[in-house]
Amino acid sequence: MTFTGKLSDLKRCFQGVVPSIIATSDGAGVPNVTFISHVYFVDEQHVALSCQFFNKTRKNLDENPLACVEVWEPITLQAYRLHLRFLRSEKSGPLFDAMALRIDAIASHTGMSGVFRLIAADVFEVRAVSAVEGFLLELPPDIVAGDPISIEGLRTEVRGLQWVSDRINRAPDLETLLGAVLEALDDYFHFSHTSVLLYEEGTQRLVTLASRGYGESGIGAEVAVGQGVIGTVARERRVLRLTHLEADLHYARAIRREAEAQHGSVALQMEVPLPGLPDAQSVLAIPLAIGDRLIGVLSAEDRDPMRFGEWHEAYLEIVGNQIALGIDRMLNRAEEPEEPVQGIAPPQTVRPPARTRRRVVTFYKSDDAIFVDDEYLIRNVPARILWKVLRESQRSGRSEFSNRELRLDPWLGLPPVKANLESRLILLRQRLQEKCPDIAIAPAGRGRFSVRTCAELELTER
Amino acid sequence: MSADRTQAALEAGTSIFVATLDANMSPLCCRAIALRSEDRLATAVVYVPIATSRDTLCNLATTRRIAVVVTKPIEHMSIQLKGTSRTARLARDDEEAFVRSRLDGLAEVLDRIGVPRRVTRSFAHWPAFAIEIDVDDVFEQTPGPRAGTRLR
Repeated sequence: MTFTGKLSDLKRCFQGVVPSIIATSDGAGVPNVTFISHVYFVDEQHVALSCQFFNKTRKNLDENPLACVEVWEPITLQAYRLHLRFLRSEKSGPLFDAMALRIDAIASHTGMSGVFRLIAADVFEVRAVSAVEGFLLELPPDIVAGDPISIEGLRTEVRGLQWVSDRINRAPDLETLLGAVLEALDDYFHFSHTSVLLYEEGTQRLVTLASRGYGESGIGAEVAVGQGVIGTVARERRVLRLTHLEADLHYARAIRREAEAQHGSVALQMEVPLPGLPDAQSVLAIPLAIGDRLIGVLSAEDRDPMRFGEWHEAYLEIVGNQIALGIDRMLNRAEEPEEPVQGIAPPQTVRPPARTRRRVVTFYKSDDAIFVDDEYLIRNVPARILWKVLRESQRSGRSEFSNRELRLDPWLGLPPVKANLESRLILLRQRLQEKCPDIAIAPAGRGRFSVRTCAELELTER
Repeated sequence: MSADRTQAALEAGTSIFVATLDANMSPLCCRAIALRSEDRLATAVVYVPIATSRDTLCNLATTRRIAVVVTKPIEHMSIQLKGTSRTARLARDDEEAFVRSRLDGLAEVLDRIGVPRRVTRSFAHWPAFAIEIDVDDVFEQTPGPRAGTRLR
């Protein structure tokens, strides 16, 4: 039955929830049929398929440009056939970049970078679309078509944006800002598994500074730029929405198994565990950037394979811009000259610690990391900051420190300006809260912080 | 060809599609429900629902060429058969139980990756056409660098 709607009406078929199938033939009329992971909607007359291997399908298209693709609507499971004519292969440009982003992220996540990659975006003209009549004996009673976006829904979304924006503007510090943003996304959009990672230019890594829905496990987790979904988004500075993630990972792992069987495992990288939900089915990762300058990445995950739609992508990009500006504002504020806040009497000296408890704090020089009672706490710059203030406290009895003196200490390796010191102190504070509440770091006015301990500390260096 | 690959293709729990083409070299795909072979894929019978295979049967009447891809959905392990249809007939009553059992097998597998059994069981499957094929070639189709390698 000829489909009379627009190709864009079938966009859900192109989300990759249900793998599609393509039939082609060679010049002699021998047909070929194979699965394809994604059909990309280009415009009302065109779709694109990813060419990842120079396979039979690709060879056939050079001999006979006609093809048939069957796609499924993932909610109603109605099947549609797209009758196509191959036009061209694009090896660069916006379409190629958009398609490559998703493949790169999956490849990196499964340790398949360089093996599982986009060779070309094959563009097809859509000659006709037909619904496969009689494919389902009857529609299961609880399966209904998705709700269209209503005016009321749009109003809610505008209010949501307004609310997020307001929370960002009101936040007195970076920690409050990040917490408020994730709470707002949960409250308004039911994004209950989210995290914000900030970019550290020196290490080329992203560090998780705030998370929601993961318990305490997310804070401090690191991802290298270019690694996995989040690292890919950071490198490319582009939004990435992955639906039906498990199917993609299965597919990539199948390729990995085949590649290992052929080439051995030497050339392949170790698989990176996905931060967050172990059974995430969809991921939306948004770069937080100001112009070309990367600030961090906002990531949302869900167990629902269709949780994030195209609309969320556009909407959260706006939210992401607001967050990036808010974070940058906070980081700049933290760079301003120190100024004690009125009404807060900063503690001058360390109170005598309660002697009931003893904690062994060890700084490992070669790893640049601190362990407390043999449990990992933190590493890199935040570890050096903690080590400096703990030693100084123990030596002189001081409990209050300024950001300025940290920046001027060459051992810490902080740049004199734009040191992201605020974010490092937040990370340190949160890790201490989770792993060693006997040591607490608290703001003591602009540009200053205090350290308090309520256990006897034994400091050792190795 | 390895006996494992043949065996896997003929087990329950596979997803099957066929491709044919018309006189104008325009290809067409269609879901099949079951595949049977008594001689290790020298010949095979593939079952397609009547409800969705009218154009496929027309193509076979014209060109006779057919390709069949058989996939295990969880592992993505696939092989592809290429051949010529000898005949396409209405499936017999004594074949119905086999076709239904293959649909049930697929429903079990798809249920493990999130497609409820009742949804798969609602796929059109009977009455069916039985397409008898002389298999000329068998190819590895599992995604990856070996895809397209001739197995037989």
